[in-house]
Amino acid sequence: MPEQPIRKQDPVVNKSFALPYVVSMLILMATLFWALWDEDYGQRPWKAFQQEWKQRYGAFLKTAESKSAESEKNVEQGAEYQQIDQAYQQAYQAAKPHRDELQKQILDLNGKILAVQNVFVDKRAYVNALTYQIETETGASGKESKRKKLEDYKKETWPVEYPDGHREKYDFSQLVEKYNALKDERTKLSAELGEVLKPVTEASTKVSAYINQQMVDLTPVQIDGLKRKTTEWEPKIVQINVADANIVDRCESCHMGVREPLMLTAAAMAHQGKKPDEYARAFTSHPEPGLLKTHDPEKFGCSPCHQGNGRATTSVEKAHGTYEHWLWPLFPKENTEAGCQTCHAADMLLVSNDVGSTISAGKDLYRQRGCLGCHRYEGYDKEPEELNSVSQEIKQLEGEKIQNIKQAAYLMKQADAAETNEEAVRLNDRAVALKVANSKANARIAQLERQTKSLLQDVKKVGPNLKDVRLKLNKNWIPVWLKKPTDFRPTTRMPNFRLNDGQIKAISAYLWQSALTDPQPQHKPGDAAHGKELFETRGCLACHSIGEGDEMQGGTFAANLTRVGEKANYDYLVRWVHNARERTRPYCPYEKKDIGPEDYAKKGLPFVFDLQHSKCPNDGHELQVQNMTVMPSLRLSIEDAQDVATFLIAQKKQEPGAYADASFMDDPGLKDQGKRWIRHFGCSGCHEIAGMEEEGRIGTELTFEGSKPIERLDFALFTEAAQRGGKNAEPITNPEDLARLPDGPAQGPWYDHKGFFEHKLSEPNVYDQGKIKSEEEKLRMPNLHLTKEQVRDLTTFMMGSQESALPADYQYRPLDYRRDIQEGWWVVRKYNCMGCHQFIPGQQTVLMEMKRYQDAQELLPPKLLTEGARVDPEWLLRFLTNPALNDKDTNRNGVRNYLQVHMPTFSFSENELGKLVRFFQALSRQPFPYIPEQVPMLTAKETEMARSLFSSTAAPCLTCHATGDAQHDKTAVAPNLLLVRGRLKPDWVERWIIDPQAISPGTSMPSDLFRRENNRWVFAGPTPPSFQGYDKDHTKLLVDYMFQLTPEEQRRVIAAKGRPQASTQPSRSIKQGASSSDPHHRAASAGGSQ
Amino acid sequence: MRTKQMLLAFLTLFLCSSLMFAGTVSGNVTYTGTPDRQKPIDMGKEPSCAKQHAKPVTFESVVTGPKNALENVVVYVSSGAPDEGQVPAQAVTFEQKGCQYLPHVMVMHTNQELKITNEDQATHNIHPLAKVNREWNKSQAPGAAPIVEKFAREEFISVKCNVHPWMHGYFAVLKTSHYDVSKGAGDFKLPNLPPGKYTITAWHEEYGTQTADVTITGNETKNVNFTFKATAN
Repeated sequence: MPEQPIRKQDPVVNKSFALPYVVSMLILMATLFWALWDEDYGQRPWKAFQQEWKQRYGAFLKTAESKSAESEKNVEQGAEYQQIDQAYQQAYQAAKPHRDELQKQILDLNGKILAVQNVFVDKRAYVNALTYQIETETGASGKESKRKKLEDYKKETWPVEYPDGHREKYDFSQLVEKYNALKDERTKLSAELGEVLKPVTEASTKVSAYINQQMVDLTPVQIDGLKRKTTEWEPKIVQINVADANIVDRCESCHMGVREPLMLTAAAMAHQGKKPDEYARAFTSHPEPGLLKTHDPEKFGCSPCHQGNGRATTSVEKAHGTYEHWLWPLFPKENTEAGCQTCHAADMLLVSNDVGSTISAGKDLYRQRGCLGCHRYEGYDKEPEELNSVSQEIKQLEGEKIQNIKQAAYLMKQADAAETNEEAVRLNDRAVALKVANSKANARIAQLERQTKSLLQDVKKVGPNLKDVRLKLNKNWIPVWLKKPTDFRPTTRMPNFRLNDGQIKAISAYLWQSALTDPQPQHKPGDAAHGKELFETRGCLACHSIGEGDEMQGGTFAANLTRVGEKANYDYLVRWVHNARERTRPYCPYEKKDIGPEDYAKKGLPFVFDLQHSKCPNDGHELQVQNMTVMPSLRLSIEDAQDVATFLIAQKKQEPGAYADASFMDDPGLKDQGKRWIRHFGCSGCHEIAGMEEEGRIGTELTFEGSKPIERLDFALFTEAAQRGGKNAEPITNPEDLARLPDGPAQGPWYDHKGFFEHKLSEPNVYDQGKIKSEEEKLRMPNLHLTKEQVRDLTTFMMGSQESALPADYQYRPLDYRRDIQEGWWVVRKYNCMGCHQFIPGQQTVLMEMKRYQDAQELLPPKLLTEGARVDPEWLLRFLTNPALNDKDTNRNGVRNYLQVHMPTFSFSENELGKLVRFFQALSRQPFPYIPEQVPMLTAKETEMARSLFSSTAAPCLTCHATGDAQHDKTAVAPNLLLVRGRLKPDWVERWIIDPQAISPGTSMPSDLFRRENNRWVFAGPTPPSFQGYDKDHTKLLVDYMFQLTPEEQRRVIAAKGRPQASTQPSRSIKQGASSSDPHHRAASAGGSQ
Repeated sequence: MRTKQMLLAFLTLFLCSSLMFAGTVSGNVTYTGTPDRQKPIDMGKEPSCAKQHAKPVTFESVVTGPKNALENVVVYVSSGAPDEGQVPAQAVTFEQKGCQYLPHVMVMHTNQELKITNEDQATHNIHPLAKVNREWNKSQAPGAAPIVEKFAREEFISVKCNVHPWMHGYFAVLKTSHYDVSKGAGDFKLPNLPPGKYTITAWHEEYGTQTADVTITGNETKNVNFTFKATAN
């Protein structure tokens, strides 16, 4: 192929490509440099964080170190330190001469040893070599000659020159001897030196231990270590890798301060005088170091609690997961506690220092506000679910029993026909084992049946029983209430359903027509003033409130009773106050109907049903014999109940007669329609309604609502607005509902779980806006009229309601005592025990906050901070069953009879009694079952001593403690000491009398009743003469005495009280009391003058 | 160091000069309306105390004098006091005598030492129901050494004895030593106030607080009166 001529215009030949080449080269170079830069910094923003960290933390440590040095100095100035330091100095000085002497001797010896060693080592080597030759020599003559040579060598002598110059000659054996003797001496001297220095080292350890103990922060030495670590830090990814749980969290690559041993605040990590910036905020230490102790980051990482993308390191947004491709963005600060829920779903109460109140409140609201009436949530149907599993188990056991009987019969038959006796015996044994198995099954079934009864008793409803509306309500009030419950009672739990007039009419008609019409006893009016007093002091206000707005007092657990007189029927109210659990008719879950007198009459039985008579007359099944309310019995007499009801019925803003006539409720034509709407709105989720007892829930299950993909949360017409944010992002317009949004109206995008839940909870029908729907299609969720805080609490709870990707053992479902604690909180919250009792230090009860008790805390129900350590569980069981501790005289408190507040009778089931008793034991880490400690019997003299102390004027015990003497007990503010035995635990009583304030802060019982003297506890005041020479603990003596107290002995004490008893000698060390310089001699004349 | 010394010198000079022009706020505390009659105390429970009182004693939550004078009102400089944070070295003493508190209202500076003595032959317990300070409750036997305590934060603390429920008083912990407690004639006096603007607060355990603003310009005495409305308890 001929070569083509070069074209004239060939660009390769004619055109220069220098420029494009240069340009591309530059671009390529730039790209290369960019790639290099990006590789090193762009993709590694954490490097900048770590540089900043080194600088800021270093500076922080510098100031911390000087502060620490200062406080170390302060510690060193303290008298106690001086004393320890002086002891050290003394020990040092005392040991010094001997130490110096010994050290000098050892030094001399070392020189001598070295001198001998120089010669000895050489010779020994030669001797060893010769010996080896002898051993390996095969010829007898050769052996002999070598042996000779060795002996000769050993006889030679060599000079040793000592450090002081003098020389001596030794043969080999002398060398060995000398060398060993010198070394032995050195060992001896070293040991002696150790002995001499022992007190010095001990004293010096004491000094440093004292400093470590006294310093609140780190010591300068410790801080110095941190400083070194920080300056030497090379930038690198810091990661937690837990392979089993698939956790890889690199959060600490930027958040370097999280686990530092010093508390780092954003302000402290900011540049001096400047506001905390992004870096300062990132470098703070974890605000709750206590939580990290129980949740070791090496096991739990960060993201299981906080969410976010733990692996990401390329930008803050990526790491926090706040971008659209990550499903689990970091929980916002105000909802952080959502993270607790992912593992602690089974806990009703989660509190650790300042953490936990939001999520705990959310969980509680979910239960108390009746959310679970419509929405199932795993673990919240404890009672019905257990009921189900119990009946399943019974069925299964019954089946097994039948199988066992069959099998046993077969085996016995085989045994009879067996070929050998051995075979017959073996088969018979197996048959016997099956019979025993059946007996065990029977025992289990009996237990399960009792449990069934318990559980039926434990199932409660959030709202009242509507089968009783005809007996208890003002008929004309019902439609007004249904229109908008908050108009009548702003704090009610009943939500607003946005019902139209037709729906209201139909629903009220069904309720009215389906309700029970049994006659109820009439009551005469009572004394309203006495009723008011009872209402205000008995404890009603721990749950109920009265008054509106600023006037409101009492708790929010139960209804506000300001207008109860407009709606309630007096006779019913008396019955309710007297015993709220009293039902009009028992309900048979088997027949699904209320059982009336006619059913009982058919079997010739009286119409009597209660916890002891709870079997259905028709079919023997367990009946629901109580109203399904948590309201307990206050053990009021019927007259007192009349008084309270008379007071309550007078609580009204308008006359009941002023309500518009609602006779349409009798229109039978409305009944079916009403039933339909009741079913539609799921009313029976919270209320007992005739004919609708077994209705299912109408709402979606929410157990894993927080992990639903965002696309499955229906923002309806607001999807785009929520994504975009901006001016018109906020769909809620109703000012009342707007005020519920925790962060106010949306400013930016809110297309996330938090935004969805907050809007849904603030205005449940918000996503209906703009949609065209029929009445049946409209969103049914009612408006719960929540506050901002409540919306936040519930949102947090919902956000945390997730299906955890962590291994199952990360779930907090303990099987030991901690499970008893979990189950106990469930019951405690259910009955609002915290309305009266303090369970956690600092927890405010409803009563505590009332003005009445501000200066009279001794009249409040007791704090239960150490209840399990305080009382015998058997006693607690008795008390919880019957708080009056008396079968006949029930209108009293069993222990604190001086309190006007009465511990009510909750009629706990066996099941819940067990849970509560175990709960208290577990909270105080007490063994279960409890084996009471044997208290030693006191001698006659000891009894006399204790009695004389109790009755002396110096011991104030019986001024406050009740004694059974009616006149005295009028002013008593503490329990009768006769209750000590059988109720309390001895070790607790001793701790109590030594420092009651540590057990029940604020208690009337004062501290400092005893003081420490010669390693024992002695009474702080003057003691009776009989105490002279008694060298045991006074506290133990008094405790043992109290545990042996009998009514007769108590009478002896009272009789002795007032007589001169106290010694004329105040105990010795009173005069040299801690801070006193002015002598008090008055006590010298104290006792005798009475 | 130098500047510090200079500053100190100026401060002393300033203080001295201001002391030379020290003003005084004085006046009377009265009430309107009819106060509840104070109930008599039954000390039968503690005979050793009962016999110390020839005349029957009453509760002291409202103590009045002639011409509607109101006693036991703490009048103090609540804002503008020049001595905030200057804790007096000397302790104040609170006595329990005849099962009564002396004084009924004990005023002290924050962190000032409070010495509590028991002059009785009975065991008392001192229980300050502090809300912002730490609450404590200590027993004190007859003849026992004084209890020495202090409170770090400003607060009016209700104090009681659980053994003798009628014993009830107050610890008034203030951030200043410019205070007075109104006496029998309802009179009080706050001397030694350098020129400046002050808020004077009067506090009564039953009738609440009242305030008045006062400006002192020189060596003068300003008259401020407080009138409380007697409310039924």
